[in-house]
Amino acid sequence: MQSPAEPGSDRDLLHRLAAGDREALTPLMERHYRRLYRLALSYLRNPDDALDAVQETFVKTFQNAARWDGSSEAGPWLSRITINVAIDRYRRDKRRQATFTPLAEGDHDETIAAGEPSPERRTFGTELAGRIASALRVLPEKQRAVFVLRHYQDMSLEEIAESLEMSLGTVKSTLHRAVLRLRERLQGVRA
Amino acid sequence: MMFDHLRYGPRMTLLAFGALEGRERAAAERHAGSCARCRSELESLLALREELRADPVRGAEPALPVAALVSRVEARIDENLARPRSPWTWRLGVALPVAAAAMVVIALLAPRIASRFAPAPAPGVADEAPVVSPEALARLERNVAREQAARYLNDAGDVLVTMAAAPADCDRKDERVDVGQASARSRELLARRALLLESGPQSVASARPVLDDVEQALREVASLESCVRRRDVERLRQSVERRQLLLRIRLMTRELEG
Repeated sequence: MQSPAEPGSDRDLLHRLAAGDREALTPLMERHYRRLYRLALSYLRNPDDALDAVQETFVKTFQNAARWDGSSEAGPWLSRITINVAIDRYRRDKRRQATFTPLAEGDHDETIAAGEPSPERRTFGTELAGRIASALRVLPEKQRAVFVLRHYQDMSLEEIAESLEMSLGTVKSTLHRAVLRLRERLQGVRA
Repeated sequence: MMFDHLRYGPRMTLLAFGALEGRERAAAERHAGSCARCRSELESLLALREELRADPVRGAEPALPVAALVSRVEARIDENLARPRSPWTWRLGVALPVAAAAMVVIALLAPRIASRFAPAPAPGVADEAPVVSPEALARLERNVAREQAARYLNDAGDVLVTMAAAPADCDRKDERVDVGQASARSRELLARRALLLESGPQSVASARPVLDDVEQALREVASLESCVRRRDVERLRQSVERRQLLLRIRLMTRELEG
């Protein structure tokens, strides 16, 4: 049986949202806004898209608060919504690019990495951000998500497994492959 | 030894990225202490982790203050509540435009396809009559123009909200703030506006007063240097507020979207 939530705690706020109390939105957002923004930004690498993703996350949180069963902590639950929103958004953008941008032969990301300064580099003003972004871009979406949740959010492997509905073993091997691929890519860009 | 190395390879990655705990962690550390190849791999991975930790995204601050985002989220919730859509209406909402577009394409292509299989017309036969009525085409063009105008106004509203909300300091001593991104985005939007009016001025005639006011505001933002005095941003914000521009943008966007 769940113990009653402490007033003002994440649990309390989610219970209030589930009951339709919109006042609970502001304290919950104040507490998690920055963290979720950084999570979305590390996946999407674009500040506008990251803000949109966080906005969508909180709309979904309000709509689905009643479905939160209270067995997991609120923080990872919000991260789970954010990463799934970010994955969807990234997938949509990729589809749109594939529809409207004529692709050269070979890997599309190679052309981005080799051409103009990336949007990330223009946004964050550092070469490193651009290099990391182009390295992340070549990862398949699950590898990218596992890596982002571990490296940028310090989530445990168990939490990642729950968030992405993967087995613990798959999370481990996915993280391993993602890291090796990133290293290879970053060394390639440096060389 | 080779077997051990293969077995511990993935664990070195997890160890370097802080993902192992308890006994697993101790075993991996013990192995790294006794296997030169794994130790070297671990060092390489730790160096990679350090490099990745310097990513500026880790400390990035959102450009929009939380209060502004709360307003946006509440507005979206209100919109969703005001327009509950059953799965059936959703399907219709998607299916009808797709079906309409498909019919137009078929209607446009049908004469060409038919002409491939039909015997050559006898000399002197008059040209075929147009299959799609000019009214239908005009309606289609009008809808496209209005959708584009709605998207443009929506994007312009976002720029104005973001800029007025709380830009980051670029020179705290001199009370200057960074509006470089908003300024660049305004220039892009102004270019889009020109195309918008070229493609269908009549279709968006009712939106013209709002479009003109938005244009003026965007021109002011676009003319700003990237690092401006805070009071200049404040003056712009007041001007947007005085003209109730954000409210008018929202209403007009809804009207254009039908």
